[in-house]
Amino acid sequence: MKIKILAFGVIADITGKSEWTIENIHHTDELKKHLENLYPRLKNMKYAIAVNLLITSGNFEFTDGVIVALMPPFSGG
Amino acid sequence: MSEKKRKNVFIEGAILPSFIADAIAKHSTKKDIGAHSIFLGQVRNDVINDMEVKAIDYTAYNEMAEEKFHEIRESAFEKYSLTCMHIYHSLGRVNSGEISLFVFTSSRHRKDAIEACSYIVNRIKEEAPVWGKEIFEDESYIWKQNTP
Repeated sequence: MKIKILAFGVIADITGKSEWTIENIHHTDELKKHLENLYPRLKNMKYAIAVNLLITSGNFEFTDGVIVALMPPFSGG
Repeated sequence: MSEKKRKNVFIEGAILPSFIADAIAKHSTKKDIGAHSIFLGQVRNDVINDMEVKAIDYTAYNEMAEEKFHEIRESAFEKYSLTCMHIYHSLGRVNSGEISLFVFTSSRHRKDAIEACSYIVNRIKEEAPVWGKEIFEDESYIWKQNTP
């Protein structure tokens, strides 16, 4: 299973990229763990996860090909 | 989902005063309007650790933001009796002193226009996936945080 990751704001700074694909990650909890291992700074950060444009709450199961966005607190306007 | 056409919210760079003036002028033909309310967000030159903010560079999750702006529009039209509504937000670099958000509501009587304008601005600040990077004189930056 492949999912596409989009990173925004300070998260894109931490990961050093704004768009990539990962395989064999099945839900948001697993994704968080995976990312926090790679980028320990994310552990202390507050961020929302959107799947196909909708913000998720709780642990969310992915399906193949979904677009998953990592979004730090918004600061528009 | 509504059949109404999606409006383009994002503008590259600052929103110019002449653009705002034109937007006002265009409403002179809509003679059932009795009140306009306008919110303009301006980039402030905050001083953080002795360094002055000289610009904000805005990025957005465009697809989701367009969806969210549409939802906010629909909800404001439902909640308030509005004749029309316009929302513009900058993307990219906007210098301090320049405008980065323009919300414009019109109604027959002032209450709807004023309350809707404030409602829209609050929802944009809280829900629009837009991020501002505050850039200092030496081009270093920090990510902006909105005050509640």
